[in-house]
Amino acid sequence: MRRALLLGVAALLSGGVAVAQHQQHNMPAMTAFAADAREAFTATPTFAADGTLWVVRGTADRVLVSRSADFGKSFGPQVSVTAEPINMDWGPDSRPQILVTPSGRLVVTYAIFKDKQFNGRVFATYSDDKGASFAEPRSITADNSSQRFQQTALDPDGRVFAAWIDKRGAAAARAAGKPYPGAALAFAWSSDGRSFGDTTVAFDNTCECCRLGIAFAGPGRPAVLFRNVFGGTTRDHAVVTFKDAVTPGPLRRVSVDNWNIDACPHHGPSLAIAADGSYHAAWFTGGDARQGVFYARADDASSAFSEPRALSAPDRQPARPYLLAIGNTIHLVWKEFDGNRTRILGQASHDSGRSWSSAHSIADTDDASDHPLLIAYKDRAYLSWLTKTEGYRLIPLEDAP
Amino acid sequence: MRRTVLIALLMGLVLPGPAHANEPLPFVRGSWAKLRAAHAGQPTIVHFWGLTCGPCLVELPNWGKLLAERNDLRLVLLAADPLPQPPEQVENTLGRAGLGTAESWSFTDRFYERLRYEIDPTWSGELPRTVMIGRNGTINVLPGVADLSKVRAWLDEQSKLTALIPTQPTR
Repeated sequence: MRRALLLGVAALLSGGVAVAQHQQHNMPAMTAFAADAREAFTATPTFAADGTLWVVRGTADRVLVSRSADFGKSFGPQVSVTAEPINMDWGPDSRPQILVTPSGRLVVTYAIFKDKQFNGRVFATYSDDKGASFAEPRSITADNSSQRFQQTALDPDGRVFAAWIDKRGAAAARAAGKPYPGAALAFAWSSDGRSFGDTTVAFDNTCECCRLGIAFAGPGRPAVLFRNVFGGTTRDHAVVTFKDAVTPGPLRRVSVDNWNIDACPHHGPSLAIAADGSYHAAWFTGGDARQGVFYARADDASSAFSEPRALSAPDRQPARPYLLAIGNTIHLVWKEFDGNRTRILGQASHDSGRSWSSAHSIADTDDASDHPLLIAYKDRAYLSWLTKTEGYRLIPLEDAP
Repeated sequence: MRRTVLIALLMGLVLPGPAHANEPLPFVRGSWAKLRAAHAGQPTIVHFWGLTCGPCLVELPNWGKLLAERNDLRLVLLAADPLPQPPEQVENTLGRAGLGTAESWSFTDRFYERLRYEIDPTWSGELPRTVMIGRNGTINVLPGVADLSKVRAWLDEQSKLTALIPTQPTR
């Protein structure tokens, strides 16, 4: 009875795809409940050079790729990147990633849970036939401890940079009976998108459950913004700019929020670097110094960040900020909840983040939703947002003055 | 039993008490007001935890011990994972921590913004979190893993207040 009711509710809430899948796979009812309740609900977009929009969806047990030739108005069939169902990492800050290399190769990465302790494994696959089929997914790294929250990005030369949260250090410390707060920031490169090279741990003791923000200071020079664990207890943000492709530079603290919490915020930051080299960071904190979602900028890769600017009031549940730089124009969006509806608020700056338009509502919904994401095609910015009620939307941003 | 509880909840008629609360009750829109109303006038501690929260799982057995130690602890467990978790897993985890008999709820709506907003608009979902609601409705929040000495001190304080205001036992 209870199960049937819950299943019914879940069916109403979830899209037709997920329900159809459950039927298709003939899952036992109990498994169906568990999987459906914990279904990943994400849509991550990228544009190919020809303006084709590619979207990778994370669902209960599939990574699904589809394309749109009309900026998200209609989509072709969804293609699963795996032959079999997977145990998808449904963590709130986890999502499959997709990008298109300069040669037109689709590269998809995703994470699964490999046990009930939320240890993960990140896989990478690719398609050379415009998403009609995908290669057998391969682990992104040889280590078997745990990887999650992978993020991929194309550097200006078209190479694929992947960074993720890795628990090899935590596992080794546990085996040696030593303490190890958090996890590690690890990375690897792929020159062609088909396979990834050696893994390097950039920093130990980062927060273990927050997405990463990636931008590029130049070819082969990624910058990664992440929630660090300072002094074993303080989960504030830091950015690292690589000296070269395999050499992380020093940590630069973005803000002293002083969030001393022995817990997983499941709430990662966003980073953008403008054409003039300025850094733009947005993040969530519940620290002693401030609470809510904040933005700060720095003139270049080595200067200090500005005083954090609050994007909203703490009682509006501000969350999931996302940044996009097009030249020296910066777009910034975040989520708010007013007690009734969730809204995506947006601001733009045309002077590299020094002054901003007033915040305005871009989209809203009355039920559960994915994080808002921003992408660009030919200097036009778009909000990409998946909601339970409306489905997937790609909304061009009006360039508010 | 389970069916009765659920139907009653869906109809908004009754709030099951701690006596039969070892199965998590579905926490949905409106549940917070019902939970508060059911414990109104009684010093109550609502401990927010989650299956997906590592520190929570480490901390839970300490709450089990405290519950065994203090008969003046009116404890409500609320699993507030960002995604609804299987009720069996919630139940089993609490049972292993010595909390099988405590009143227990579990988030059962993926629109967690709304559930959190009803509880506290400024709470963004960080776990664990302990909310101590005094006899007069005064709320004390302990974010993160709770310092149980603070909880004991609060219970002692509430007991003194109880002694001043004659009433029925709290449990």
